[in-house]
Amino acid sequence: MNFPAELKYTKDHEWLKAIDDTTALVGITDFAQSELGDLVFINLPQEGDEVTAEESFCDVESVKAVSDVMSPVTGVVAEVHAELEDEPQMLNEDPYGAWIAKIKDISAYGELMTAEEYEAFVQK
Amino acid sequence: MSELKRTQLYDVHVAAGATMVDFGGWEMPIKYPTDIVAEHLYTRHACSIFDVSHMGRILVEGPEMVPFLQHVLSSNVMALDLNQAQYAIIPNEAGGAVDDAYLYRFEEDRYLLVVNAANTDKDLAHLNEQIKGYDAKMTVITGDWAAIAVQGPKAKEVLQVLSGGEAVTEPMKNALNTLQFEGRTVRVAKTGYTGEPIGYEVYIETAEAAWLWNRLIELGAKPAGLGARDTCRLEACLPLYGHEMGLDPEGKEIPIFAVPLAKFAVSFSEQKGAFIGREPLEKQYEVFKRVMNRDFSDLADLPRRIMPITLLDKGVMRAGMPVYKGDKLIGYVTSGTMVPYYRHEGEGLQTVILEETAKRSIGLAIVDSDTLEDDEVQIDVRGRRLKAVIPPYHMRVDAPPFARPILYRPDEETAAAASGDRTPKVLELIGRATQNHVWRQEKCVNLIPSEMSPSRAVRLLCASDPSFRYAEHKKVKSFYDADVFYYQGTEFIDEVEQLLVEEMKAFMGCAEVETRCVSGQMSNTCVFSALMDWKNRLNRKQDPKRLGYIMNNHIIKGGHLSAQPMGALHDYIAVDPVTERHALVNFPVLKDNIYKIDVEETKKAIDQYRPEFIIFGKSMVLHKEPVAAIRKYVDEMGLQTTIMYDMAHVLGLIGDHFQKPFQEGAEIVTGSTHKTFFGPQRGIVGVNYKKGDLKYGLWETIESRAFPGSVSNHHLGTQLGLLMAAYEMNHFKDAYQKAVVHNAKSFAKSLKAAGLDVAGDPANDYTETHQVIVSVGYGTGPEVAMRLERNNIICNYQATPEEEGFTASGALRMGVNEMTRFGFGPKEFDQLAQIMADCILRGREVKEDIEALRAGYTEMRYCFTEDQVAAALNELARKSGI
Repeated sequence: MNFPAELKYTKDHEWLKAIDDTTALVGITDFAQSELGDLVFINLPQEGDEVTAEESFCDVESVKAVSDVMSPVTGVVAEVHAELEDEPQMLNEDPYGAWIAKIKDISAYGELMTAEEYEAFVQK
Repeated sequence: MSELKRTQLYDVHVAAGATMVDFGGWEMPIKYPTDIVAEHLYTRHACSIFDVSHMGRILVEGPEMVPFLQHVLSSNVMALDLNQAQYAIIPNEAGGAVDDAYLYRFEEDRYLLVVNAANTDKDLAHLNEQIKGYDAKMTVITGDWAAIAVQGPKAKEVLQVLSGGEAVTEPMKNALNTLQFEGRTVRVAKTGYTGEPIGYEVYIETAEAAWLWNRLIELGAKPAGLGARDTCRLEACLPLYGHEMGLDPEGKEIPIFAVPLAKFAVSFSEQKGAFIGREPLEKQYEVFKRVMNRDFSDLADLPRRIMPITLLDKGVMRAGMPVYKGDKLIGYVTSGTMVPYYRHEGEGLQTVILEETAKRSIGLAIVDSDTLEDDEVQIDVRGRRLKAVIPPYHMRVDAPPFARPILYRPDEETAAAASGDRTPKVLELIGRATQNHVWRQEKCVNLIPSEMSPSRAVRLLCASDPSFRYAEHKKVKSFYDADVFYYQGTEFIDEVEQLLVEEMKAFMGCAEVETRCVSGQMSNTCVFSALMDWKNRLNRKQDPKRLGYIMNNHIIKGGHLSAQPMGALHDYIAVDPVTERHALVNFPVLKDNIYKIDVEETKKAIDQYRPEFIIFGKSMVLHKEPVAAIRKYVDEMGLQTTIMYDMAHVLGLIGDHFQKPFQEGAEIVTGSTHKTFFGPQRGIVGVNYKKGDLKYGLWETIESRAFPGSVSNHHLGTQLGLLMAAYEMNHFKDAYQKAVVHNAKSFAKSLKAAGLDVAGDPANDYTETHQVIVSVGYGTGPEVAMRLERNNIICNYQATPEEEGFTASGALRMGVNEMTRFGFGPKEFDQLAQIMADCILRGREVKEDIEALRAGYTEMRYCFTEDQVAAALNELARKSGI
C-alpha cells in the first residue's frame, strides 16, 4: 500500500495535492481503490460546480457497488479528468496519478491527515 | 449472529488471497486478487473455477422418491433420464418460488437436489414438512462432497486431461457422467451458472477437493469468486433467488412465470398430479400465453415479468432502481451492474474475438407484462432518468465454444435495389457465374460428400424443354390404376418417368419406386406423412395421431438432419405424454467407435420402446448400418415396426461393394440422387411392398403424398436428367462403386500416414463408404475448412459426436465420390493427402499444387463418351440453343 508523503488525506480515503494556496488536485487513495475493487464507472462533476468540504461531489462504481467521493475542500471545480469516464480502471491502476478534479478558489478545508497519520488510520 | 460456515476449500481461498465475505451464512470468496472484471473475462475467454460447495445438496431416495419430487418441484421428474439433470423451481402454494434448484440423476435409484446455499435451511424445513406421508427420505450431503464449477471455452480440454482423454460427458447441456479423474471418482454435470456453453460442475469427495482445485489450476484454470459468478449469470440472464425470484422491490411475491426459464422448469403433465402451486401456476400460464400473443387484457395473475434491460446512457443500474416508460412507473431493476466483454470484429463465421475489452451496463428488470422487446424505457439512477432499452438478450451461446455478448443495436434498414438499366448487372452476373463454374469444375478439388458433378449428358437434358413444364398425374382406380395426366403435351415425360421407375427399381432392388420428390428431404417428408396418414386410415373422425416411438440416429452421432424432429420429422412425431418430449429413441452406439450402432444395446432399446418406425441412415456415415440384424430381431419379437433406410448419402453405393438394403430387410429406402448417385438434385423413394401385402396401402399413400401431397410440379427437366444418370449408374456401377470404396479407404490411410487424425474403425480401413472424417482439433473445424477453401480444397467442417455444435466442430467431413468420377485413384488421393497435411498441419499455402493436381482430371468418367453419344449431345445442344 502506497502513501505518498507530499499528499494530504481524508478519513473518507480521498487525497489532496496542493498546487498553490487556493488550487489543488483531488483523487481517491490506493487503499480506497483496493477496497472498492475494479472500478467500472465514474460519475464526474462538471467544470464550474461548487463543492463543499466533506460533502459528496462525485461517485465511483465498482462491479458490486456505488461509492460517493467526498470533497476534501470547499471551492469550485476548475477542471475534471475526463479520460476517467472511458477508463475508470486508471483509478485502480494509478490512484495517485488518476486525479479526479482540480479545485480552485479553495475557501475552506475539511479534516486532513498527513501520510503518516493516514497510514496509521487505515491500519487500525 | 451464528458463526459463518466454511466450505472444504476455505483454506485454499484464504491462501490465494481471496476477499472472503458472508454469503448466505457461508464465508465465501467474492473475488481473488485478480478481481471481478479479470475473473469474468477469463471465464469467457479460457476457464475459471468456482467453489460452489456451499450449495445445499440433498439426496432423495426411497420407493416414493418420484411422487414426492413430483409434488414439491415444478418440473416433470418422470422426464429425467439416468445421467441427465433438469432445472426446477420449488414452488409455494401461491405460485411463487421457495427456491430454484437443479435435480440430478447420477444413479437409477437416487436423485440429487441442489439448492441455493442461503435457502438450504428454509428449503429443508419446507421439504421435511412435505415428505411426511411419502415413503422417501432426504439426506443432506453438502459436507461430504465438494462441488467445483469449471466454466469456459477451455473447460472441456482441461477436464479431459484429468479423465485421460475420455469424454467427460455427452456434449449436450445437462448431461451427467460418473468417471475417474486420475484415479479419483468424480461426478460431472454439464451444467453451470455462468451461461458458458462449455461449462461443467464437478462433485468430488471432501478429502480430494483441494487436490482437484489445485490440479485444475495447474492445468490452466484460474479461480473466480462469487462476484464474477454474479456478473456471468447476469450477462446470461439467469435468475438469482432474492432478485428475480422471491420478493420484488415492492415486497410482492414474484410469480414463477415471471421468470423466462419457467417455460422450461414448469410442467403440467398428468404425471405430476396436484403438485404444490399447480393451480396458481396454471393461472399464470394462461396469462403468459396471452402475453406472448400480445393480449394484455387481464394481467392480474402475472402483472410483471423479468426482462433483460440495457442502459443506453452512461451510468450503472442497480437492483431496486425504478424503471419508467414515459411518466409511468413500469417496474424495477432486479439485478444490474457494469459487465466486461471482449470486443469482436468481422461478420458471421469470420467473427474474430479481439483482445481489446470494453464494458456495458446491463441488467434484469421486473416490468409490466405489456412491455415489449425494443421498448425504450428510462431508469431512475439516483435521481437521474437515464435512457435504457429492453433487448431480446444480453448474450447467446448458439455458436460454441464461446459465449457471445450481444450488444444492443436497433434493426438497420436495408437499402432497396435502385431502379434503372439492369444490363451492367446482367453482364456482371454472367461473368461471375462463368468464373464460379470454371473455379469449381476445373480448379478445385471437391470433397463435399453430398455433392456430385453430373455428366454433360445429364446437364444438357436437365436444361432441355420439359424443364419448365408441368405433368401432374395420378393413378385412377376406375382405369385399373392407369396414370392420368392433367395436361397435354406430356407423353414424352410420361414415358421418361416410367423408364426412370424401372431403372431405379433395378438399381435399388425393390418392387416400387416414386421419382417425383425433388429432394431427399422431400422424400423423407413424403414417407413420414404417408406413414402417419396410413396409421390413421381407419379413423378419420379425430385429430390424426402422430408417429411414435421412432428410433433414429442422433444428429450429433451423425444422424441425418432430415430424419430428425427439427427436420422432416417435425410435423409427424408424437410427444410422449410421460416425458413431454418427442417420442424418439436414438440408436445406441459403440463406446469405442461412435460411428457404429451397438446392435445388442439397440435390441434392448427396441424391447423397451417397441418403436413403430426405425430409420437407419446418417450424414456422417463411415460404416454399414446393421439392417439385417435389426430386421431379424424385430421379426423375432413379432413387432409391426416399419424399417426404413435413409440412404441420402449412400444411394449410389447400393450394391455389392456396400449394402443391399432391401435384401437385408429394409421396407422403405429414401435417398438423394446427387451425392454418391450421378443425378441432378432430386429425391427418390423405393419400397418393397407388393400387391396383396398389408403395407401395399402404405405404398399407395406414399404415391399420393408425393402428388398431390408434396409437388404439383415435379421439375421435369431434372427428372429427365435423372433417367440419364440412372442409365449411367446401372451401366458403370460395379467399377464406380468399387473405385469409390477403395479410394476412400486408400485416402483415409494416406491421411493417417501423413499425420492426420482419421476417425472410424482401423479394422475397416476407417471407412466402408465414400466418406472420410478427420479430426483437426476442437473448435478449429471452421477455420481449417476456410483455409482449405482458400487453397481450392472444398470440404465441410463437421461437429463430431463429442462436440457441441457446428462452431465448436473439430472435424472435416470429406467424400471421394466426385473426384473419383473425375478419375482420381489411390495415387492422386495420396498426393492430395500430402498436400492437405501440409496445409492443415503446417499452414502451407497449397493453391498452386491443387490446381496442378486437378488440371489433369477434368474429364468426367463413368459416363457415356462414345463418339456417337457425343455427336447426339452436340445435336441436342445446337437445336436447343443451350
